[in-house]
Formats: sequence, C-alpha cells, structure tokens
Amino acid sequence: MNPIFEEIKDAIVDGDEDLAIELAEKVVAEKIDPVQAVQLGFIKGIEEVGAAWTSGEAFLPDVMMAADAMKAGMDVLEEVLAAGEGEGAYEDKGKIVLGTVEGDIHDIGKNIVGALLTSAGFKVYDIGIDQKAEDFVAKADEVGAKIIAASSLLTTTMKSQKVLVEYLDAQNLRSKYKIIIGGGPTSAKWGEDIGADGWAETADEAVELCKQLM
Amino acid sequence: MLPKFDVLTDEQINKIHKNSLKILQEIGIEFSYDPAIEVFKKHGQRVEGHRVFLDPDFVEEMVEKAPAQFTLHARNPEHNLICGGENIIYMPGYGAPFVYDADGGKRDATMADYDNFVKLAGASKNMHMTGGTVVEPTDVEDEIRHLKMAYSHIINSDKCFMGSSSGYEQAMDSIKLTAVLHGGMDVIKEKPALICLVNSVTPLKYDDRMLGGLMAYAETGQPMVIASLVMAGSTGPATMAGALSLQNAEVLAGITLTQCINPGTPVVYGSTSAVTDMSTGSLSIGNPENALFTSASAQFSRFYGVPCRGGGGLTDAKTVDAQAGYESMMVLFAASTTGVNFVLHTAGILQYYMAMSYEKFMVDDEIAGMVLRYLKGFDCDSDEKMAYDVIEKVGPGGHFLTQKHTRKNFKTEFFRPALSDRQSFDGWSKDSIDTNQRAKLKWQEVLASYTPPELDPAVKEKVEAFIEKRSKELLK
Ligand code: B12
Repeated sequence: MNPIFEEIKDAIVDGDEDLAIELAEKVVAEKIDPVQAVQLGFIKGIEEVGAAWTSGEAFLPDVMMAADAMKAGMDVLEEVLAAGEGEGAYEDKGKIVLGTVEGDIHDIGKNIVGALLTSAGFKVYDIGIDQKAEDFVAKADEVGAKIIAASSLLTTTMKSQKVLVEYLDAQNLRSKYKIIIGGGPTSAKWGEDIGADGWAETADEAVELCKQLM
Repeated sequence: MLPKFDVLTDEQINKIHKNSLKILQEIGIEFSYDPAIEVFKKHGQRVEGHRVFLDPDFVEEMVEKAPAQFTLHARNPEHNLICGGENIIYMPGYGAPFVYDADGGKRDATMADYDNFVKLAGASKNMHMTGGTVVEPTDVEDEIRHLKMAYSHIINSDKCFMGSSSGYEQAMDSIKLTAVLHGGMDVIKEKPALICLVNSVTPLKYDDRMLGGLMAYAETGQPMVIASLVMAGSTGPATMAGALSLQNAEVLAGITLTQCINPGTPVVYGSTSAVTDMSTGSLSIGNPENALFTSASAQFSRFYGVPCRGGGGLTDAKTVDAQAGYESMMVLFAASTTGVNFVLHTAGILQYYMAMSYEKFMVDDEIAGMVLRYLKGFDCDSDEKMAYDVIEKVGPGGHFLTQKHTRKNFKTEFFRPALSDRQSFDGWSKDSIDTNQRAKLKWQEVLASYTPPELDPAVKEKVEAFIEKRSKELLK
C-alpha cells in the first residue's frame, strides 16, 4: 500500500487542513489512484474520528477540524474523481445543502451539523447564514443535492423554514428534495406542521435522519 | 453591605484591559449599521468599510463619561431603583422560547405565561423589577409583540421593567409608550424609566437591529445594558483570559458608541460569557467559569466606574432538580457577592436560557431571598444588636427562647424560607413532596392571591390608545 494513504489518514485525524491539501495535490500530481486515496486515506481518517466521537473520546474541535481537512482535501480530488480516474468509483453518501434561514445569524449549531454529516460521508454544501429560500434551492439545483437542511435559532425566524417548504411547493419542486429542519426553538411538531420531511434535535440525530432519508 | 471580593489582581486587570484596547485598535470591530459608522467617523476614528479601529485613549475618555450610577424610575416611586454602587437589582429570566412543566413537559411559551411571570415578579419581595421578555410569547404576531409585552409589565405591576431593543422603530415604540405612562418624553428624559439589553454579536460585531435599538435609547437618554456573551471555545478563545479580553473589548466599544451619541447616557457593563460544552457545542452556563466571568465583569465595572450586569439563577438542568439548585446558587451567589448590580435572569431559567419554569422561578426566588439576607451581613451598630444585656440576663446554662429580645429580633435577623422544608422527618413525610412539587403549589397559590396594583384609569386609557394605534399601523 502506498504510504501516502496512511499519511492522509493521519492528516485527517490530526485535523491538519494544509497537510490534507498538500497530500491531495501530491495524489493528483503523481497520478496516484484517487479512489484509493479517498477510501484508504480520507475515509479511514474520518471514520476513526467518528468512532472516537461516538465513544466520547473525541470532542468538537477534533471532529470539526477533521471534517474541514477532509473537505479541503476532497475538493482538490474532485476533478480527477469526477473524471472517473482510479480503480472502481468513489461516491459520496449523498449531497446536502445546509444553511441558516433568512433573518438568522446563529451558526454554531449548523456548523456542527455540517461537520458531523461530512464525517458520516455526506457531501455538504454549506451556504452560510441569513439565507433565503431561493438561495437554498438554487444551490441544491446547482449541485444536485437531495436533501435541503435549514437551521433556525429564533422563534421569529422559524417561519422562514415554513417559507422554504412553501417556496418549493410553489415552484413545483417539493417532490424533488427532502427538507429537514432543526435548531433550538424548533420541534418535531413544528416540522410536521410545516410539512418538512424530518426534524432532529441534535447533530448526531441529524446524521441518522439523513441516512434514513437517502 | 458586605465588602465585595475580587477575582483578579490589579496586574491582571491591567493586562486584560490593555489586551482589549489592543484588540479594538488593531483588529477593530464591525458595526453593520451605517449611522453608527457615521458617528465614529465624526469622532475621528479610523473606519474601513464597516470595521472601526478605536484609539485606546479615545475609548478610555468616552467610557469615563458614563455615570457610575443612575436611578431607574417606576410608576410607583416606592419601586424606583438605584442601579450602581452597593445596590443589587433582581428580576426574572429573559428571552426563553419554551416553558418546562413540573412533570417534565415542554411547550411553546405564550402571552398567558408572560402575564404570569410578570405577576410572580410583581408579587415577589425579592424581585426588584419585573424584567423584560420574561418569555417569548410565541402566540403573538412578532410585529406587535413588543407592545403586548410592555403592556403586561405596565398593568400587572408597578415596578420598573425593560423595553425592546430590536431595531430603532420597536425601541422607540417602547420608549414612547413608557413616556405615555410617565407623563411625557421630557419627564422620562429627566427621570429615565426604561432600560434595555443590547448584545454584541461575538466575536467583534454589532448588528443593525441592536445598533438601531442602542441609538434610540441613547438619543432619548434611557439607560441600556451593553452586554457580550462569549461562548469560550466556540465564539471566543478557550482560555479564560482570552475570552474575558474579547468580551471586554466588545463591551467597551458599545459603551464608547453610546457616549459618542449622548455623553452621560446611563449604561451598564454587561456580561453573560460562559463556556461551550465541547461534546455538543451547546452553551453551558451553570458552572464555575460562568461564575468567574461574572465576578470578573463586576470588577471591571468598578474599574471603569459603571454599574454591572451579570449572573443569575443560571443552570443547564432541564427540570427543577439538585443540579438546577446547586448551579443556580453558585452563579447567583458569585454575582451578588462580587458586586454585580443588575441581575437579569435571576429567576426561572432552565437549560441555558432555552426555557422558563414556574417551579424554577420559585426556587430561584428562594435563593434570591437567601442571598439578599447574606449580603446584609452583620449589624453591630447598637447595644441591642450586640445583645450583651440579654446574654448577661440568661447567664450560663439558660435559654433565649422566652426572652423579649429574642421575640423582637429574630424576625429581622433571620431569613425565613418560603419554600424550603425545615420540618422533622415525620412532618415532611405526611405529604413527602419534593421541592419541585412544593414550588408548583406555591406559584399557583401566589398567582391566585395576587392583585395587580391599580393603574390610574386615565393613564390606562392613554396607554391602550397608543398600543391600539401602533398595532393597527404595524399589522397593516
Ligand atoms: C450564541 C448565541 C447567540 C450568538 C450567535 C453566535 C453564532 N455565531 O452563532 C449571538 C450573540 C450573535 C446571538 C444573537 C442573537 N440572539 Co442568540 N443565542 C445564542 C445562544 C446563547 C446559543 C446558541 C448556540 O449556538 N447553541 C449551541 C448550538 C450547538 O446549539 P443549536 O444551535 O441549537 O444546534 C444544535 C441543534 O439545535 C441541532 N441543529 C441546529 N441546526 C440544525 C439544522 C438542522 C437541519 C438539524 C437537523 C439540526 C440542527 O444540532 C445542533 C447540535 O446539536 C442561544 C441560547 C441557547 N442556549 O441556545 C441564544 C438564543 C438562541 N438567542 C436569542 C436571541 C433573542 C438573540 C438575538 C435576537 C438578540 C439577543 N437578545 O441576544 C440575536 C439575534 C441575531 C440574529 N438576527 O440571528 C434567543 C432566542 C429566543 C427566541 N425568541 O427564539 C436565545 C434562545 C437566547 C435567549 N433566551 O434570549 N445569539
């Protein structure tokens, strides 16, 4: 086995973004099998962190930095992977557009959800805070996401989650996407009321939810 | 009053103060609101886009202008409050969207809950004012929530209360309404009657809505709390000294702005900094770090010569259990004994500001009573209090239960619990109910027997007319 895979794995476990990029660039430059680099390097690393998280040994900075490093390295490999280079094929577990709704600037919870979804193998497109329904949908359309995940931390911005569902209805796009919602003041009932496909209270539960919906 | 103890040495205060000034001068701080940017430009501060770089001497000079204390006026002058100095002001929790029940249930907070918490605060001898946004009344349209909330404070009690700070317009509404209650804008300009909470957006930002609110209060000479909530580990550094430096920088920048707009405007140095739970990312407030941030903030307020807001009956617990009790006591006790003047969130909070609980309110009210008694300390001012004569009279081996001196003094010297159980085991085991259940009975009893103080019908009519007119405009 090419020793670079082990190095990639360690870079992910250490949450070393720069090193992950550097190693990914080396994979491209030296024409090393990118699918193997992903499977034996990136995914191995993130799985290790994920396991440590589940057992309570890893903390948020560990997981979030690993997810950032993974994302940065995978971005470098994206082109060669898309071109179908390497043995077999690598596919992510599914694409998810994630953001905080219009009028709301809380993003810690959203970032954690994004990191845990990334570490579970999903490809997450984080569009940031204060985002309109149109922005969620435009991004989902652009990247071919299946799930749209919207975070809201204020009772006054929860209705933007409803607006998102209504917007998709109005555009006749509702059946194309699964909408999931979350954030402090939201609830399972609120999710049902507005016709979302799912709600989760914590980031761990959000991962389970996405696995079910994919 | 007891002497306040310090948690920082003079050298540490200086180091942190310098660190904060360096942050403001070299990293700068973002104000998203254009009118605020104009103010800083006018005062010769370096501005790049929305980022302002503050000159250290300028900051010190501006903060100097803020008063060390001020009086907040209530519709009943008996409830006027001095904010600053040795005084301490307690009030209910602020901003929670949920209510948790005694049996573990969770529901959205409503306007009915709002009225109830205002009444409980009105009835309590330990709550000096009725607070603000005591819960988020989710059944009222957001456009007019601020009006309905103010109305609740006005008719359900005659104590001081807080107004909205969500944007210039809403803030002005609450100020004008308060003016109606007190007899005109010039009256409250002279005698400030409304206070609000302005929060920075950590790290190093102030947003439009809050700045609009800040401008409205500063322009009309109404006091405000300028607060920062650093979640150490996520929105701020994971070191205590780093997080405190960041908080201090933000609060100083906010105070500087208020003094630029209207020199001498009463402001309160506010802190709710605490830590991030590194396993879940959630805020955690029932801990020694929060108590330390609170005490350090009180010390910084003394250093800058302004009143301080911080602490409260703060907990991460979801129900009224032992955790709720010990965490809340720690933070409220630390705040109160180290010199905080304005304690938002004294009573009712569960789960890091997410919920209010009636039972928790009663528990915190009891804690507040205990702490207030503690703060009174020892009275050694008279022979009566030194009690030599009665000690002589009883002599060796007697008892004091049947002495006049005892009958006369115990009521004022001893704290009398309203909620705690001091019975024998047999006495207690007749009902064998825990604090949570006792608190439930207690708040129901208090609410049932509370009669709000009467409001002059002519004033009431004016207040209602104002609200009706504004509501129509806002709901259009
Ligand atoms: C930190 C904080 C801020 C920071 C935000 C910094 C940042 N970069 O995010 C600042 C200071 C900027 C801020 C501002 C305001 N805040 Co604020 N804030 C908080 C606070 C203390 C913590 C939020 C947090 O990060 N929690 C930790 C994370 C990990 O939890 P979480 O977001 O809930 O996320 C978890 C789950 O919900 C879930 N999840 C989250 N998103 C999603 C999405 C999906 C799809 C799924 C499935 C799951 C999911 O997974 C996460 C991990 O488990 C809360 C109180 C609280 N205890 O929550 C108040 C709170 C949310 N804020 C509140 C308020 C009122 C405000 C302000 C209006 C002003 C003010 N009074 O402070 C402004 C509004 C600004 C705006 N326009 O958005 C209120 C809301 C009340 C209400 N009416 O709903 C709260 C409840 C505090 C209170 N009691 O007053 N706030």
